[in-house]
Amino acid sequence: MQHSIKNYYINSIKNYTNQFEDTNFRRIACNDFKSWPSPREETWRLSRLGSLSRKKIKPINPNLKKNNYNTLNLIGSTIIQFVDGAYREDLSSKLPSGVNLSVLSDSESLKYLQKIKKSNLSDHPSTNVSLSCTPSIMKLTVSKDIKVKDFLEIIYEGGEDSKSVHPVLYLELEENSSLYLIERFNHLTSLAMPLQLIELRNKASLNSIKIFNDNEKTYNLSANCVYLSKESYLNSFSLIKGGIFTRSETHAYLNGCNAKLNLNGIYISCNKQHHDLTTAIYHDVPDCTSKQIVRGVLGGKSTGVFQGKVRVAKDAQRTDGQQMSRAILLSDTASANAKPELEIYADDVICAHGATVGELDDDQLFYLNSRGVHMDKAREILIKAFLEDMINQSVDNSLHDFVFKEAELALSSIITKETL
Amino acid sequence: MSLLEIKNAHLKLDDKNILNGVSLSVNKGEVHAIMGPNGSGKSTLSYMLAGRDGYELEKGEILLDGISLSEMEADERARSGLFLAFQYPVELPGVGGMSFLREAVNSRRKFLGEEELDHLAFVKEARKEASKMYVKDEMLKRAVNVGFSGGEKKRFEILQMAMLKPTVSILDETDSGLDVDALKIVSDGVNAQRNSENAIVVITHYQRLLDYIVPDFVHILSDGVIIKSAGPELALEVEKNGYSGLINAA
Ligand SMILES: Nc1ncnc2c1ncn2[C@@H]1O[C@H](COP(=O)(O)OP(=O)(O)OP(=O)(O)O)[C@@H](O)[C@H]1O
Ligand SMILES: [Mg+2]
Repeated sequence: MQHSIKNYYINSIKNYTNQFEDTNFRRIACNDFKSWPSPREETWRLSRLGSLSRKKIKPINPNLKKNNYNTLNLIGSTIIQFVDGAYREDLSSKLPSGVNLSVLSDSESLKYLQKIKKSNLSDHPSTNVSLSCTPSIMKLTVSKDIKVKDFLEIIYEGGEDSKSVHPVLYLELEENSSLYLIERFNHLTSLAMPLQLIELRNKASLNSIKIFNDNEKTYNLSANCVYLSKESYLNSFSLIKGGIFTRSETHAYLNGCNAKLNLNGIYISCNKQHHDLTTAIYHDVPDCTSKQIVRGVLGGKSTGVFQGKVRVAKDAQRTDGQQMSRAILLSDTASANAKPELEIYADDVICAHGATVGELDDDQLFYLNSRGVHMDKAREILIKAFLEDMINQSVDNSLHDFVFKEAELALSSIITKETL
Repeated sequence: MSLLEIKNAHLKLDDKNILNGVSLSVNKGEVHAIMGPNGSGKSTLSYMLAGRDGYELEKGEILLDGISLSEMEADERARSGLFLAFQYPVELPGVGGMSFLREAVNSRRKFLGEEELDHLAFVKEARKEASKMYVKDEMLKRAVNVGFSGGEKKRFEILQMAMLKPTVSILDETDSGLDVDALKIVSDGVNAQRNSENAIVVITHYQRLLDYIVPDFVHILSDGVIIKSAGPELALEVEKNGYSGLINAA
């Protein structure tokens, strides 16, 4: 029974890709999808897909007429809209000059596939399934020397029960360009498999905020592959709060000297949610910096996972790599796992890491109580403080309030639940 | 009726007897000093009064203005007018000083049936009190106690006391770690709050503080019991001869 349902998904992908020539990137990707990752694979041990593999799901056939999305434009940004995994020009804003969005041709798509296949995301289910089933790979380019002033916002919506959606993006920041990108995942689908390849050319700078806020039944298996060239800068912040199971996996390759990476994340989990931030940072050349702060707040029967690998190659001298993760459990039935993994082959490096999982600090709670502050308010103050200073460090000033409110919305339900 | 009444308080921590029958009556307008060797139970007594989890009485009773505190949580006791200045004030990373004070003051005001202060009125009030304690505005913008020096932490405690206007304040070694000038500032701050309606209990190791905050009574706590109570002259005796004679005589 289980076997046939697993095959149901594979067969439906096969059926779809069979209409293409066997050299087409979709066929190649499809042939590489043999099954869902097994819990025997180390990076999937703590985030098991058993219940997903037992669901009868089919890739969606995007409805290009769906038009019931009146997304609020909260931050005065330029909007790019994806519905059912397909780019919708009719629902998107006009792009600022120097920013270009196009559909990759089949031959370009094949190159895209080859680039991802060279990374450690080659076997990720979202790589193979999304490349098989995506309506098209969308390429977003910022031209050389262009500093985009307005925030650019990508909103992913749509999908339906028993369907999977496959938005695939290629983001290239040409030399010396810069962009502030906000992505919001608001799917109403059983499975979302966003796939991204990001290339930052020399001196390019990307600020990225991702907010995962899919429907309460959604599985989101986001996969991101990032290449950083000389003196480029990526400041990335993810807020994971939605879905029944959300895993954001990012592999970042520091390939050019003096590249700088911040890879921060917060997850806020309640009920039976499972949230997973899995990252791998590869220092392959000297003089690069990576900093990572991850924080989790968990209530109900939720589970959280942070897996953070940092690999420093033999030649990557003077690497500065910092990683800190902390999770706070607000209920006895919630649990969190932190798995830092340092592989250091160079000798002249500064690498620090720390990981803690615990409850709110009793001394701090008592101090607030002793000043007349109610227990539930005291907890709220401490949790917000725990997240707020990190949000302030991670995102642009003008977005503090917006991001903090997004976090607060998720927190409010946990805090009231856990203190009743 | 006493403002604070401790009757035969017994308390164990991890099966160890720490308080072994402490009794103390504090009346309106009085200042009491508690002295005693390290480990004699002074901080334990203050945590017990403030209602810290795990510091529940095994036997005995405590009354604040005639009302039993035993069933009240720490926050309720504080709102009712009990204040503890911590021996080791706790750092609250990410919690701004000003919003912390405001939360505390408004909780107390609500309890007293007073209107909550709006933001501007509050900031004005806080700045006024802060300047009296030589607490700079900049410190109120920082996270509570984070990166404060030992003396700054103690001054911030007394600033909180000034703003909360408690009926009974327990100051646990508020003088420790203060330089001569800061000791004067803190003592002036405390003295300014003395009135005929409230009471203060100072826990200290040093007679020096009692030159500034002159107590009506001095008590010696040893092994979890008060072994001697007298006037301010008792502190001078301790300063001169130490505790051993007093303990042996008890
Ligand atoms: N959780 C605990 N379990 C067992 N014993 C404890 C615990 N906490 C404190 N104690 C002990 O209780 C005793 C009283 O401690 P307390 O801190 O009240 O002393 P103190 O009089 O304030 O001392 P000091 O003058 O050094 O501040 C000490 O012997 C201490 O070791
Ligand atoms: Mg003490």
